[in-house]
Amino acid sequence: MNAINTFFLKILLLPSGLYRRMGVDIRHLKAILTAKLMMDDRRPNPIQQARRNKSNKPVTAATLGMIFFTTIMGCVFLVSFAVGKDYITRLTIYFSFYIFVLASTLITDFTSVLIDIRDNMIILPKPINDKTFLLARLLHIMIHVSKMVLPLSIPAMIYMGIKEGIQGLFPFMLLILAATLFTIFLINALYVFILKVTTPEKFKNIISYFQIFFAIFFYGGYQLVPRLISKAALENYSVTTSMWACLTPPYWFAGSWNFLRYLDVSFPLPVYFLLSMALPVVSIWVVIKYFAPSFNQKLSLISGSDGDGAPVKANSKGIISTTSAYITQLSKWLTNEGAERMAFLHTWKITGRSRDFKMKVYPSLGYLVVYIVIMFFNTKNKVSIDDIRDQVHGGKFIFIGLIYFSSFILVMALRQITYSDKYKAAWIYYITPVKTPGELIMGAVKAAIVKFYFPMVAITSVIAIGIVGPKVIPNLLLGMSNQLLITTVVAYLSIRDLPFSTQQSNASKGGTFIKGLFSMLIPMIIAVGHYFLYTNLPVIILFLVLSAIACWLLMDAIKTKSWDKITVGNYE
Amino acid sequence: MNPIISLQNVYKNYGTKAVLKGINLTIYPGQVIGYIGPNGAGKSTTVKILCGLISDYEGDVIIDGINLKEDPIAVKAKIGYVPELAELYDVLTPAEFLGFMAELYNMPKELAKDRIIKMLAAFGLDGNMHQRMDTFSKGMRQKVLIISGLLHNPEIIILDEPLSGLDANSVIIVKELISKLAKEGKTIFYCSHMMDVVEKVSDRIVLINEGTVIADGSFSELQQQQGNQSLEQIFAHMTAKESLSDAADQLMHAFGNQNPS
Repeated sequence: MNAINTFFLKILLLPSGLYRRMGVDIRHLKAILTAKLMMDDRRPNPIQQARRNKSNKPVTAATLGMIFFTTIMGCVFLVSFAVGKDYITRLTIYFSFYIFVLASTLITDFTSVLIDIRDNMIILPKPINDKTFLLARLLHIMIHVSKMVLPLSIPAMIYMGIKEGIQGLFPFMLLILAATLFTIFLINALYVFILKVTTPEKFKNIISYFQIFFAIFFYGGYQLVPRLISKAALENYSVTTSMWACLTPPYWFAGSWNFLRYLDVSFPLPVYFLLSMALPVVSIWVVIKYFAPSFNQKLSLISGSDGDGAPVKANSKGIISTTSAYITQLSKWLTNEGAERMAFLHTWKITGRSRDFKMKVYPSLGYLVVYIVIMFFNTKNKVSIDDIRDQVHGGKFIFIGLIYFSSFILVMALRQITYSDKYKAAWIYYITPVKTPGELIMGAVKAAIVKFYFPMVAITSVIAIGIVGPKVIPNLLLGMSNQLLITTVVAYLSIRDLPFSTQQSNASKGGTFIKGLFSMLIPMIIAVGHYFLYTNLPVIILFLVLSAIACWLLMDAIKTKSWDKITVGNYE
Repeated sequence: MNPIISLQNVYKNYGTKAVLKGINLTIYPGQVIGYIGPNGAGKSTTVKILCGLISDYEGDVIIDGINLKEDPIAVKAKIGYVPELAELYDVLTPAEFLGFMAELYNMPKELAKDRIIKMLAAFGLDGNMHQRMDTFSKGMRQKVLIISGLLHNPEIIILDEPLSGLDANSVIIVKELISKLAKEGKTIFYCSHMMDVVEKVSDRIVLINEGTVIADGSFSELQQQQGNQSLEQIFAHMTAKESLSDAADQLMHAFGNQNPS
């Protein structure tokens, strides 16, 4: 255990006498907390997870890594103090950031770290009383939250201390505490709400959709907001001008700070102060009174691993999976019978159902959408609809950009198709008499094309033809064909594994970066070429034919890839 | 002699589904109980009730004279439980994990340390004592779990499929351990699907099906009632709704008319 954990443990065990009087067994309490903190320290955080190879040494001091990362995040928050002309605006923004980030981080920690289902089997059969267990859990949550909250808020506290002195710092600290309690309440409420409207089995999916949404929202906000609002406007912005702002908790916290700092008792400020103090108290009360009793029990259902629930009976509920007839039909048109069709349907289902896959691909899809939106805002000389319609100036650029940028989506999805956390299940490919594994790859590639390329093509076509009219069609077709070409080139060159047959952590072997760069470079070169030939119709048509033929040949090449070109998964 | 475990009219429902429909069992110290039944019969529910994991059951469970509902902590202190799945905190090392368990059982530190070292050595894990368990094989984890159930020298030991993942040599060790523990007067509650093992290790076999006890007695008593069969055959005879060889026939028929070679 590192110094930070030991420190927290010491602090929280100080009121041992009080705990004992409450009926808590201090020895058990200490044992549980020590074990829990030790485990926290060895659980890889997201950054370490990304970097970690199988061969790497085990995770140690995860806590320090997390604290470092969170401190940086806390420094980023300081940006909000550069915005707006008064403290109430700055603090409203700060508290909004703070609550948002804390909530989005803790939302996953609650299931993965703080409420460990294994506790039920390991700790509960031991002679330990409920109060001890409950307090251990509470203190563990407190330590975990503190490890998030302190580094997150310390940069701002230092700023406050320097700028406003002690009179500014103490109210700020108090309000951070209130905001933290409020956030915990928010998460609890959200959990209870999700558990009410859905089944525990779907719970994890919903939480991961939240994560995807948060990731995209952050990225979009980070990219778009500064572009949409000019610097001068930001500096003169005051939140007090918006009526709705005074209904949100961050605004109350900001108002209370003004109240406490300047002892300003003008009308709404004391009300905000009362509201911000009452909010956490009411939150805690609601959590204890309404949520806590059923909460643990319901959470323990989430795992589903222990047969606590009644066994699933045949033909009763449970998820009944059927592949829609339309996909089956589609697979008949697009693929040859046998391995290729099987891989197509398999990929279609896995990409639609695997949480792992969605978590990796959908955020990057979201980033791309954000990028595309930015392109519209970012072109230096403003592009008018007329420009796009007449295909002049930036209009041409935007059109090309849109088409080729959307090919990144497909390439991105394609690069994930070989990975799966259930990679060991790929034994099915090796024990079955598959002659050419290329067919499996082709089936998977086709499924990715249908899933991630067709919708994009449909949207771009509708937009392009809608705005520009039929004269855009040759260029549109060339663009589409080139997108397919890019995809097949990338697939041919980079896919050496069967679909869903390797572990993501193996991905960081050498050359991946180059491959990634390469797969970005190809579309860019083709796009530039296309841009210069844009108005030359005969050449465009010639290239369209060539591109289509190249596509066809490449697909054939992928399909006939033999076993010696495939990395056979290793099973230890 | 006073019974060490006594279940009287134990009922348990999950929602509208009744899992236990009045279990009555009286178990005396030193017995090895083979607790068997098909999937979904209520085996693990019974185990969870005995371990104090499920408290909203109906009926009485008395363990060593203590009502489980009145003083679950005192009961838990007398029980050692080896869960079925390899449920353990695998980022800890065996020494850390077992040390943690010992703390929860209020064992004196020195005694615990000494016992952990000796028990791990007996299973040949002394060299792995300070390695994290996430690299352990299934059998190694199972050994750690077995130790965690025996560590505090409990009166009652509940084993849920304890041999899973163990190699043949370790199986022999555990089987022998069970009979030695029973000789010392410990009560062993052994849940398993492996009929041949249950047949050999248990003094008394309790067969449950659909939440009720349908057979209870020593293996030879069961043989007297059901004819001179193996436990596997008795089990099939009493619990299978349709003939099992019919099922095998159906599987073979699925090949169609051509004769499977």
